[in-house]
Amino acid sequence: MKHLLRRSLTVRLTLLFSLSATLVLLALGFTVARAVDRHFVEQDLDALNGKLTLVSHAFAQLRTEEDLAKLPALLDSSLVGHHGLAVAVIDPQGEVFFRTSGVSFPKTLLEKPQSADRRGPVVWQTGEGHFRGIAGQVTTQLPGWPEGIVAVSTEISNHEAFMQAFRQTMWIIVALAAVLLGFLAWVATRHGLNPLRQLIAGASEVTASRLDYRLPTESIPIEVAELASTLNDMLARLEESFKRLSDFSSDLAHELRTPISNLMTQTQVSLSRVRSPEAYQEVLSSNAEELERLARTVSDMLFLAKADNCLIVPTQEPVRMEDEVQDLFDFYEALAEAKGIRLARQGHGQVCGDKLMLRRAISNLLSNAVRYADADSTVSVTISEKVKVIDVCVQNTGPTIPPAQLPRLFDRFYRADTSRHRTTEGAGLGLAIAASIVRAHGGYVGASSDCGTTRFTLSFPESPSGATDQT
Amino acid sequence: MKILVVEDETKTGDYLRQGLMEAGFVVDLARDGLDGLHLGISEEYDLAILDVMLPELDGWKVLQGIRKAGKQMPVLFLTARDQIDDRVKGLELGADDYLVKPFAFAELLARVRTLLRRGKGKEPELLEIGDLSLDLRRRRVTRAGVRIDLTAKEFLLLELLMRRQGEVLPRSLIASQVWDMNFDSDTNVIEVAMRRLRAKIDDGFEPKLIRTVRGMGYVVEVGE
Repeated sequence: MKHLLRRSLTVRLTLLFSLSATLVLLALGFTVARAVDRHFVEQDLDALNGKLTLVSHAFAQLRTEEDLAKLPALLDSSLVGHHGLAVAVIDPQGEVFFRTSGVSFPKTLLEKPQSADRRGPVVWQTGEGHFRGIAGQVTTQLPGWPEGIVAVSTEISNHEAFMQAFRQTMWIIVALAAVLLGFLAWVATRHGLNPLRQLIAGASEVTASRLDYRLPTESIPIEVAELASTLNDMLARLEESFKRLSDFSSDLAHELRTPISNLMTQTQVSLSRVRSPEAYQEVLSSNAEELERLARTVSDMLFLAKADNCLIVPTQEPVRMEDEVQDLFDFYEALAEAKGIRLARQGHGQVCGDKLMLRRAISNLLSNAVRYADADSTVSVTISEKVKVIDVCVQNTGPTIPPAQLPRLFDRFYRADTSRHRTTEGAGLGLAIAASIVRAHGGYVGASSDCGTTRFTLSFPESPSGATDQT
Repeated sequence: MKILVVEDETKTGDYLRQGLMEAGFVVDLARDGLDGLHLGISEEYDLAILDVMLPELDGWKVLQGIRKAGKQMPVLFLTARDQIDDRVKGLELGADDYLVKPFAFAELLARVRTLLRRGKGKEPELLEIGDLSLDLRRRRVTRAGVRIDLTAKEFLLLELLMRRQGEVLPRSLIASQVWDMNFDSDTNVIEVAMRRLRAKIDDGFEPKLIRTVRGMGYVVEVGE
């Protein structure tokens, strides 16, 4: 049961609802039964008090002994038609003066009252039935009959029987109502949870090949709509990651297939007949170069995969960007000079992060800039401190990149010029790696190109100690 | 020089043995951790190359066992796992170097020679090969008595090549040692730098001392 309670919202709601309905009905039944009961008691007391007053009045009017003698007959006749009413009168000597036949009064009622002149009500039971009675004192103006006690009773067995039947009926009604309400609650809950079931049906439609499916949010209640739109957001994120992943694997397969097939063909061709040692050496050297490139591509891919999964955690040390750029200039100097390219640096700034990674990011941009720069031009690196941001901008003059291609430059394996020979450059991962390094440092990358000038900008959040460390 | 190689991957083990033997070392190859530990304890080696992932006993345990037996030879780890944790663990356990698979054999050979050279002899003040000499104290390079002007980086590059003369140095090692580029950087840079250095050192002189080994790297040696 406990298990079921936890598992099924319908069962839980149904039980809760019928339990509270039953409680309300019980309270209602109890109140009604009490009210009816009290009404009966009041009705009885009214009748009894009236009778007592009547009897007292009769005694008070007694003038003579004859009147007294006639009184029992008078009382008898006055009781005719009052079904169940009985009267007993005790004379001053304590003897029974008058008593309706068939009813015995309890002693407490017939004793002389101590203080109040009326007593009761008292309820008692005899063989004849159930009675309720009160008693009071009467006085007369007769000298031998100064005062007496009058007890009046009424039979209440029929009231009791009524109450019992009433209670029984009521409990049955309450029980039936509780069952009925429980059923209604179940129906209502099931109906109320329908949108949730629709959501489930919708969500079960989603498969890897149908990640573009979105749950409807317009036609369902607001509480569930929130859930649906949250699920939709999740689906959108999943779809994007999934798409990226599948693009990535197809790119990867494509990028690796070409060099592997080259290697295979070259090796098989050279094995097809006996050759001179120089020829073998040539093939093996060429294979070694190709394999080295493959190994690089794979380790770059691994780096990117880790970055995607947030496994790249840069160390946090203050890095002076101008020093890094200067060291990189020393490295690229020979290559740049060979192409007649000058390297220029401006500005300074400090970034908090991983020195090696930052150097790698800038190195990839520089390598790119030197590769595409026009001969006899300048590649310049500008470090500038803006509001809470350190920008490292690498600029070269060279072919303008069409605006449509700019956002794709940081995609892995993306090459702006598809006709370029693959051996003359890396696998097209350099900018992607730079971008993921910058993102791992909480920054962002940007690219712009116009009028023969291409700029790549790495923006890092300002290091907390950056300002003070400048001194 | 005797080297212990513990490597379970058949092809890798075979080429390591062959490559190292051809480089002039005596090589014992163990195919699992237990054999490796046994050899490491019972024989005398100048260096051990351990794979991390080994059957029976992993590389860390082999290293622990060897050190416990009081053997202090340098140990180089090979690991497929590119993780800082592994590196830290290896170095804590007393490994001397660490190489991530896949690696270039030239890189391994260079590291092996570095480890074997460590702590041996004092720094020479003059490096010489053929008629080329490099004076470390006076920062001067001469060939056949002719003084050659080198930039600071060219000097460092030549110094590295001459210290390791006869060894083929891969481009990545050169980038890391001379320019402190400890990541896969643009290899064209090394090619251009080597071309410039060669123009200064070898142009107009015979024999040519700087040689490109295709697919591997560069070496300084007196050609046959």
